[in-house]
Amino acid sequence: MGAAAYLSWLVVAMIGIAIFQIARRVLLWRRGRPAEVAWLAGLAALPRRYLVDVHHVVNRDRGASRMHVPVAGGLVAACVLSLAGLIPALTGSRPLWGLVFAGFSAMLIGAGLVTARRYPHKLPRLSAGRYQRLPVLLLAFAAGGAFTAGLTSIGDPLPPLSILTLFVAALGGIGLALEVARGPMRHALAGAFHLVAHPRPDRFGDGRDTALRTIDLDAPKLGVETPVDFPWNRLLGFDACVQCGRCEAACPAFAVGQPLSPKHLIADLARAQSGGDAPAYGGAPYPNARSVGGTGGPDRPIIGENAVIHPDTLWSCTTCRACVEECPMMIEHVDAIIDLRRFQTLELGAVPAKAVDPLDNLRGCDEQNGQPLAARADFAAGMGVPVIRDIGEADILLWLGQGAYDLRYQRTLRALIRLLQMADVDFAILGDEERDCGDLARRLGDEATFQRLALDNIAVLSGYRFKRILTADPHALHVLRNEYQGHGGHYEVIHHAALIAELLESGQLSVGARQDLSVTYHDPCYLGRYNGEFDAPRAVLDWIGVERREMTRSGRRAMCCGGGGGAPVTDIPGDTRIPDLRMAQAKDTDASIVAVACPGCTAMLEGVVGEVPEVRDVAELVLQAVEAGRVAAQPAAGSPPQRVTA
Amino acid sequence: MRVVVLLSAGRHPVSGRAILPPLEAQAIAMALALDPHCYGLHAGCTPDGVADAPGYGLPSLDLLTIDADVDPVPALAADLSKRKPDLIVAGRRGQGGNDTGLLPYALAEALHLPLLNDIVSAAQEDSDGMGRFEQALPKGAKRRVTMLLPAIVTVHPLAPAAAPFAYAKARRGTIEFREGPSGEAAPGLFETRSRRARPKLMRQADAESDGGGAAIIDPDPDDAARMIVDYLERLGVRRLRNEASRTTDHRD
Ligand code: SF4
Ligand code: SF4
Repeated sequence: MGAAAYLSWLVVAMIGIAIFQIARRVLLWRRGRPAEVAWLAGLAALPRRYLVDVHHVVNRDRGASRMHVPVAGGLVAACVLSLAGLIPALTGSRPLWGLVFAGFSAMLIGAGLVTARRYPHKLPRLSAGRYQRLPVLLLAFAAGGAFTAGLTSIGDPLPPLSILTLFVAALGGIGLALEVARGPMRHALAGAFHLVAHPRPDRFGDGRDTALRTIDLDAPKLGVETPVDFPWNRLLGFDACVQCGRCEAACPAFAVGQPLSPKHLIADLARAQSGGDAPAYGGAPYPNARSVGGTGGPDRPIIGENAVIHPDTLWSCTTCRACVEECPMMIEHVDAIIDLRRFQTLELGAVPAKAVDPLDNLRGCDEQNGQPLAARADFAAGMGVPVIRDIGEADILLWLGQGAYDLRYQRTLRALIRLLQMADVDFAILGDEERDCGDLARRLGDEATFQRLALDNIAVLSGYRFKRILTADPHALHVLRNEYQGHGGHYEVIHHAALIAELLESGQLSVGARQDLSVTYHDPCYLGRYNGEFDAPRAVLDWIGVERREMTRSGRRAMCCGGGGGAPVTDIPGDTRIPDLRMAQAKDTDASIVAVACPGCTAMLEGVVGEVPEVRDVAELVLQAVEAGRVAAQPAAGSPPQRVTA
Repeated sequence: MRVVVLLSAGRHPVSGRAILPPLEAQAIAMALALDPHCYGLHAGCTPDGVADAPGYGLPSLDLLTIDADVDPVPALAADLSKRKPDLIVAGRRGQGGNDTGLLPYALAEALHLPLLNDIVSAAQEDSDGMGRFEQALPKGAKRRVTMLLPAIVTVHPLAPAAAPFAYAKARRGTIEFREGPSGEAAPGLFETRSRRARPKLMRQADAESDGGGAAIIDPDPDDAARMIVDYLERLGVRRLRNEASRTTDHRD
């Protein structure tokens, strides 16, 4: 029997320490609010969630998956096999130690790759501090273990050397186990628990679950003030963060120098749980960080100038979900942000100054700019759009949304209405019965106003017969389709690009010759990431025959225009503006047009000055193509084609 | 210093929904700065609208219940002369509900108190029961006024902003209902007349426009002109077909 036998006991000791360390965190999580967790289903789904869903995200950064697979796989394999050495019959088995050697060797390769990511220079999005120790510990454990097991497998020719390598392995291994409470190794255990007890189990596999959860407005405390106000599995989620910084690299607010980094935010939420004894944060600071004075603790406020996170950080978020999309630990940043906002808004009334009027208006007259509901359809005067109240039912109910009050977006809506009329679609609008859908109120944390608007809208909608709701506003689409469900509203909602695609396919609309345009399509977050609709707008663009170019960040990983989550309203200053950045990305494609499909994106991107691509909604481009087709179809049209707008 | 805020049941200028007038939310902020235990007072039949006041931070709210058509001044005057606050803060004009903006003046007369209108800030002079105020004057001018308390002041919109509304505070706020004196119906100060009828032309236009206009692409200019003239005649905008008039620009 060689020194390797002690490896087995080392692993036992490591497991003991790790359990003790994680138990300290478990006690903290348990102080959170209760949460319903389907334990058995979660446990059964764990391997799939890990091997498929997590790996899918990890693998987007090839370097990361090449590093993680050997280091984690090697670690687990080497430890499990070492434990097998506790079985007396196997303790002296040379082949067993040969296998252990293989496990540690794989881990050693991985540890080398981990080291390369951090030394001599770490990738900018990674954290320093405790995290810089990680490669050293991994290398020590892997190398020590490999040598110890390897020497034993060849008969332990040099016992003193084996003792030495065992000692090195022990230093590394115990160090790793100690990191389970507060350091990088926490992600392994907390991450596994998080996958089992995830607050949004439906997001795994092919599913999607992006609707904000409703809250009981009669609860004693609304929203989250202190760490213990979070449901316990959310606290667990924050602890799963491995500070890989992918979320930060994707965050538009971080990119333009607003004081937000989702990584820092999650780390702060994890640190706030334990209060004063939390290790310092080793990552990049919040850009233009506002100073905060507090230390936090389970029962201490999280948000505030004298707390852990500055309010400006909270209000910088556009709720674009780019962070959630990138997070390999499946953390739900946006849920946390909204829960925190809810407390600020509902309990303290601590909303940014510029958000006060819109919220007051929504409460007072159901429209964020204080305009009469009856004026919503004014832009369509003379177009002969029927109001459903007059006709009782229609195939399609056209939800106009906030964009109907915006001069620029009115052009889009008129184009859409023209297309519907050309295609003989049976549609109607709600007229003055359409209230704001509540998106803005909800993202700004005003759940009370959201719920009232939702219930009022649902009451109105229940009075009419229609098959589908059509909207050109992805925010309204998301709210009507996914978030009204929590309040009894179940609708089939279709985005205008998807409907136009249907009309083109069925031949109800036909387009003229190929358009000589180069177009790049900007995915709206609330259509793409929130609702998984990436194809229809692209199909429409292909159908009308424009040359389509993709921005580097597109589809699932597209960058936000800066218009969501009430960010234009809260207007937290940064170095530049998010739409400027996004427009620069569009310009990089050399396309002459950036196609949009959302009033928010339109307004934000239209606001960019300088030599930039033209902003056109998908509906406008299609109308142009359809009209071109009609003109071409008219024999001997003597005069140049004329656009008729009324 | 004991401060009371007079609250009225306003109406939202766009929706007509019962709300607390924004100026009175500012009045609450001003009163809170002077007296953290200030309270609100309203005379009316329901708490509609004023029930929002706790959401702006008002610690407590007394509601004197009176019938809908009863003049609130005697009820308020009776209550205020009993509780003798140092300062009565009110809005400055009617906000569309059953309020007239004259109430602070009527109350000042009934209570024999001085009234200072349009203040933008208030502070208590430390020593001698005097209040120090800033009053907004036209064209952005301001003047300082020092006045012996008790007094009534009305708040100007240039006063510091109200605290943002907090739903949970409004929900937790309690309203103490007290029966107000059953007084006489409010004196009819104004003659009510129905809104002026809309001009005949517009009414006709309204009746005619069924919305379903036709879009004609690339028509012959003469045809287009004729169609527009016809249309205008149908609407009654143009009464007689005047052969001499020429309509060339047909873009609508
Ligand atoms: S929150 Fe997720 S993506 Fe962001 S640093 Fe942590 S683990 Fe990485
Ligand atoms: S949702 Fe978007 S803006 Fe908000 S933290 Fe995540 S990436 Fe940043």
